[in-house]
Amino acid sequence: MSAPAAQRQVRRPRRAWSDVAFNVWGILVMVFLFAPIAVIIVSSFNVGRLLVSWDHFGFDSFLALLAKPAIRDAVWISVQTGFIAALVATALGTLAGIAMARHPGKWVWWFMGLLLLVSVTPEIVDAVALLPWTVFLGQDLGMSIFNDGIVRLVIGHSLFSITVVSYLVRARLVGQEAQLEEASADLYATPTRTFRKVTLPLAMPAVFAGFMLSFTFSLDNTVIAAFVSVSGSTPWPVYVLSALRSGLKPEIAAVSTIMLVLTLIALGLVALVLRRAGDSAADIARTMAGS
Amino acid sequence: MRRRLPGFLLAAPAWAWLTIFFVAPVAMVVWFSFGYKPSIFATQATDKLSFDRYAEVFSPTFFATFQNTLWVGVAGTVLCFLIGLPVAYWMAVKAPPSRRGLLIALVMVPFWTNFLVRTIGWQVILSPEGWISTALQTVGFEPLAILNTRGAVLLGVVYNYLPLMILPLFVAFDRVNGPLREASKDLGAGKWTTFFRITLPLAQPGIVAGVLLVFIPLMGDYITATVLGGAKGNMVGQLVASQFQTAQNWALGSAMAVVLIFVILLTVAIGAGIVWLVTLPIRASHRLVIGAPAAAPASVSIREEVAA
Repeated sequence: MSAPAAQRQVRRPRRAWSDVAFNVWGILVMVFLFAPIAVIIVSSFNVGRLLVSWDHFGFDSFLALLAKPAIRDAVWISVQTGFIAALVATALGTLAGIAMARHPGKWVWWFMGLLLLVSVTPEIVDAVALLPWTVFLGQDLGMSIFNDGIVRLVIGHSLFSITVVSYLVRARLVGQEAQLEEASADLYATPTRTFRKVTLPLAMPAVFAGFMLSFTFSLDNTVIAAFVSVSGSTPWPVYVLSALRSGLKPEIAAVSTIMLVLTLIALGLVALVLRRAGDSAADIARTMAGS
Repeated sequence: MRRRLPGFLLAAPAWAWLTIFFVAPVAMVVWFSFGYKPSIFATQATDKLSFDRYAEVFSPTFFATFQNTLWVGVAGTVLCFLIGLPVAYWMAVKAPPSRRGLLIALVMVPFWTNFLVRTIGWQVILSPEGWISTALQTVGFEPLAILNTRGAVLLGVVYNYLPLMILPLFVAFDRVNGPLREASKDLGAGKWTTFFRITLPLAQPGIVAGVLLVFIPLMGDYITATVLGGAKGNMVGQLVASQFQTAQNWALGSAMAVVLIFVILLTVAIGAGIVWLVTLPIRASHRLVIGAPAAAPASVSIREEVAA
């Protein structure tokens, strides 16, 4: 690791103007990235009728949440959906990722093509496609499970997450030799046992990261949710979207602040697990940028 | 090798799930786009097939929105690239390695905050009653009138998709970092020469990934334009949504969705062609081949970047 030492040596005599310019630009962009988030956090302590106009400081909006079952229900629907969608995406994506890494063949190209197609299709197209499709399955074919709000949301939210989990698990296993699995087989472990005792533990950091990413994707999903959700199971972002038309109240900022804190905790956990597994900062970025 | 037999079957559940809930519904939309809306009470019918809906999509009213979307998409992607490139370079090369983890986390936090809520944050900042506007008025300027214009939508999309540009660029620069650039300097190349002849060409897969990751979702964006655009900043996403939700004309909405996908693919192809032509003389004079051939098909490198 001579690069940091070299950099320090170069820097000591005097700072080049270009380095200063880079620092200034970088900090400005960071401020830009955080400006609206800071505004939302500040607004959540606004005591006033509307989010946009500041009245005075107070915790009223957080207390108001306790009295509003509609907001609580929406958040609860989102959390439930996120959890189930993440489970589905992780299960399907992990199996697919392992298959791609350990059983290569021509089929992998076709499958990767499908994954690529799913991940580059604009969300709005998925959304407008799933609406008639769930209606078709639920009403024309009479499969009543597709009339359930949470089932529809889980389906919509799982599509993109499956591709992300598959990529992550595949990338993790491709980077590691299959020797351990071969050794396990040579030692007379059954394929099922090898899978459970060797392959899965190897893939575990990616599986965990995939699960957390899928969960946050699902919590964040507005477009697909707005189309497939049925009344009675409105997820949180769709609630916010409808509040947009009737006037935003500080309560919305309050919930957003709470959810931001929860998301930060979740992401911190992911970073911790990945670091334990020996990933560098760049590897973590690569994993997270997987979307 | 009997135990290898069921191998690819592990992917079968995911394959089936994506076929039933992605391929089939999208195919259905394509099918609908050839149909028509028979009456005000029905959303679509496909007993007579025609290209009439596509002709309708290209009528002047909708065509203007497509033009607007394309303008915002291209301008937004270019701005994200110009703003994000120095930041990614700064994070990967200039910033001390010990701070790198923190910087990545900082770029990622906005990325993981609810998209809709972040956009609402901009609505609060830009509103005529907001503090920027109030400050401007006390100094004697007009109140801020950017909200509900195309400019506000552009600001919103640049903000919302900037992390998607920075992260792949960072990963790409991080990979190039180190010995090669030092060698270039040792051989007498200046800062700019090193950047344009070593760093940038080697970071190409990251640039391609970043541009695609920003451009594709941006073209289909529906939230940013709804929150910040008002009536003037219309985008195709809203148009498609309104055909399905309010106008209940699924045939026309489907045709718009299909056209949107084609516009995206066409723009990406044209963009790739232009870049290829522009860099042709440069590539011809300075060839740079390191390690594995970087001439793999574009789709492969994008996929790997997305997967990585």
